Amino acid sequence: MNVREWALITFTILAQMSVGSFIVLGIVHYFVGKKAGEQQADELSDRALLAIGPVLALGMAASLLHLGNPLNAYKAVTNLGTSWLSREIFFGVLFAVAGAAFAVMQWKKIATFQVRNVIAMVAAGIGIALVYSMSMVYMMPTRPGWNLITTPVSFFATTLLLGVLAMGAAFVANYWYVQSKNPGCASEQCVLLRDSLRWIAISSIVLLGFQFVVLPLSIALMAASGATESAAMFVGEYGALFALRLVLVFLGAGVLGIFVYREAQSAGHERMMSVLAYGAFAFVLVGEIVGRFLFYATATHFGLQ
Amino acid sequence: MAKQLGFYFDATACIGCRACQVACKDKNDLVVGQTWRQVVEVSGGSWTAQENGTWATTAFAYYVSLGCQHCEKPSCVEVCPTGAMTKRADGIVVVNAEQCIGCRYCEWACPYGSPQFNEAKGVMTKCNFCEDYVAQGKKPACVDACVMRALDIGELADLRVKYGSVAQIDPLPAANLTRPSIVLTPHAKSSTHGDVKKLALDKGGMK
Repeated sequence: MNVREWALITFTILAQMSVGSFIVLGIVHYFVGKKAGEQQADELSDRALLAIGPVLALGMAASLLHLGNPLNAYKAVTNLGTSWLSREIFFGVLFAVAGAAFAVMQWKKIATFQVRNVIAMVAAGIGIALVYSMSMVYMMPTRPGWNLITTPVSFFATTLLLGVLAMGAAFVANYWYVQSKNPGCASEQCVLLRDSLRWIAISSIVLLGFQFVVLPLSIALMAASGATESAAMFVGEYGALFALRLVLVFLGAGVLGIFVYREAQSAGHERMMSVLAYGAFAFVLVGEIVGRFLFYATATHFGLQ
Repeated sequence: MAKQLGFYFDATACIGCRACQVACKDKNDLVVGQTWRQVVEVSGGSWTAQENGTWATTAFAYYVSLGCQHCEKPSCVEVCPTGAMTKRADGIVVVNAEQCIGCRYCEWACPYGSPQFNEAKGVMTKCNFCEDYVAQGKKPACVDACVMRALDIGELADLRVKYGSVAQIDPLPAANLTRPSIVLTPHAKSSTHGDVKKLALDKGGMK
């Protein structure tokens, strides 16, 4: 693993996290808005929305480090007809533009709620296209360990899992920020925070279950197709790292998820709940980074090299 | 039929001297690590004890010399995000360094190891069929350097009339993947399992 490969890990993880965060934020905003009104929903989610942009920008900047000749990077969108890599970059830039347009309009309350909603939906759709193109980049007969249905499925699983837990952490950070500014008026926000985090905990546990089906399935598919060497690496050479990845995601999304849910059930445990939510995000982020490292490290090439 | 230039390789004639590889390196001024033409030694077989106390062998070795296959369906051209990798009207697949971003995606996509990355320049390079020589009516450096006359070039259609249509012997991947513009005369022991891993490959340690 060198700088070029770490660039790809950083780019794919951060871009997927920002797409997942954007979608999760939209869903939370919708339900909170229905329950407590738009103003409360904005209060809960606006700052979290602004955090997504830098994450995506950082990811895209990292992707440049993958290139041997980054000065030419702008040319990467010129073969949309046949190249999934072109499409990936195209949707990446489009998602950044649409997301930024929505974030600015939402922050400054430009146009009506309905107009902003439409733009957010379009941006989310572009985000899904981005994650899909990102996975299709790896679907090549010359890379049998990647050329499996589990590649797109696990990219989407990562997208949602990181999105859910990143937003959990962002809501918590936002809550304490609001508290520090104006300690008195945050009781409504406190209820909404606990509600949101309960759903975030439930979602992360469901997604963990999904991950634990997809991961063994991907290795089984590798073993059954032409990628027996890749499958062997997961249990041999990289067995310890693979176990670490499973344990980290299990602890973060599962165990800490359950505790977040418990602490979020009644008022007065906000501090503990916050620590747990940060911890869950950190564990899963590291777990997913290790997972993506393994994705690249276990790839084998079919044909001559 | 569209024009398509291609290589011919005779595995029954090649002695594995790698003069083609060296001629290519010299002509194209390739840095260490880049071998646009590669000669792969394929070996296999085993020894079995006979009832009379002697041993019988099925051991064999042969060579395959490969440049770029200038495929009819080149996966490198398909995946290249900038269009730096193109297929010319005469069928030669070339990479334009001016357009290349050095993402190395073509390297992943090619089953023949043809596109090769130049670390110093940060761009991809590959066998260009010695397009300058061909334009002057000459043959590529590898072809002219071959002491066994195991290599040749020509219109793919003509080569197929002359030598048949074998385009896949071990260690080459299935020809339907990219439809390589190559015609091979197979070695008596060469097979086409498509499973290279069963064979011992050796590139002679040449970089």
